[in-house]
Amino acid sequence: MTLIDVAVKDLRLHARDARFLATLLLFSASLVLILSVAFGPIFREPAREAAATLWAALFFAGVLGLTRSLDLEGEAGGGDAVRLTGADPYSIFLGKTLANFTLLAVVFALVLPIASVFFDVGDLRTLPILVGVAALALLGYAAWGTLFAALARGLKARELLLSVLLFPSLVPLWIGAVKCTHALWAGGSIEPVRDWIKLMAVADVLGLALAAFLYELIQEASE
Amino acid sequence: MILRARDIQKRFESRWVLRGASLALEPGECVLLQGPNGSGKTTFARILATLLAPDRGGVEIEGVAPEKNRRGARRAIGFASHQPHLYPGLTPLENLSFFGRLAGVPAAEARAIGLLDRFALTPFTRTPMEHFSRGMFQRVALTRALLPEPKLLILDEPYAGLDDEGTATLNELLADAKARGAATLLIAHERERAGALVTRSAALRNGVVEGEGS
Repeated sequence: MTLIDVAVKDLRLHARDARFLATLLLFSASLVLILSVAFGPIFREPAREAAATLWAALFFAGVLGLTRSLDLEGEAGGGDAVRLTGADPYSIFLGKTLANFTLLAVVFALVLPIASVFFDVGDLRTLPILVGVAALALLGYAAWGTLFAALARGLKARELLLSVLLFPSLVPLWIGAVKCTHALWAGGSIEPVRDWIKLMAVADVLGLALAAFLYELIQEASE
Repeated sequence: MILRARDIQKRFESRWVLRGASLALEPGECVLLQGPNGSGKTTFARILATLLAPDRGGVEIEGVAPEKNRRGARRAIGFASHQPHLYPGLTPLENLSFFGRLAGVPAAEARAIGLLDRFALTPFTRTPMEHFSRGMFQRVALTRALLPEPKLLILDEPYAGLDDEGTATLNELLADAKARGAATLLIAHERERAGALVTRSAALRNGVVEGEGS
């Protein structure tokens, strides 16, 4: 199955690149540490500050993951070889999205306890809902990120272009994730911000649907 | 006719690399395409392999333009070029199994093991390729191109980095492909390394294919 094959291939390559993994994890952990020091030592609104810090770390670290995913396809022509197999482009996109999502989920699993400890927020009762919120936000991030990474492929200054394109598109997801996390950590419920859940779901569907129409075009126009 | 390229034109910025290159390949043919450095051979090969779109002119694979059936056209082509088109972080077997499965090759892993054995790479099938030599990369890249038993092989400098043993193995595999009716376009500087495989030769000069001869 193309989707699974592509995802497993990307994750295997990431897992074997110790330098990349170390950079990604250290960068995200350092960002949480730096922001907790900047906001502290006495926090005015720890839930709000921790939520903003957590998602800033995740979204910035995500760009490292997307750039690495882009490089994997370009460094020895692997991306061209994938095109030459005649595999369904949307399945390739979904496979890469799944790999990027998994990578972000690993970073989330690392950064969440660090943010919880440094800011002294969160409890185990709200954890399942927080994981659901994270899944929604990170799925959208991975979908939009994979689409824009394909667009930036083969261009000079692609990292810059990727960030310029990606971050404005991610604003609804970032704000939604911060609002929901804050609501959970401050009040134990996402009920007051449930509209943000809907907005994040729309952003996810939009990213996945756009790719169904655009990914092949982008892939073929990247030369 | 497996491949027909008509009046292919391509430019990069203001420089025209191809100015009307045409070529046709019948089943079982092995055409050697030569030309000086910078004559556009690799660009031509990438256009024929559907990886690059021409500015003018068109390509047909088995009588159909690739834009109309990209998936079918690509599954008919085996392509190897200067770039290995592999993932260096994976082992040869992981690379070949991955590409084989994506291309819908039945029993891809078993076939990959057989081909790697022909290229004397059995001891390295499960070794990540990051520290492979140029010649070893080339052997795996050629295996990838041959894996799906394509009807059309486009091999750009396939002998680069190969020793005598690798050259002999490649020629054997190309002879097998020829015997089952596959057409091969060999882009190489050294005609003698292709031995008796070549049925026709041509040259790419000044952006056009000229001087076809048997």
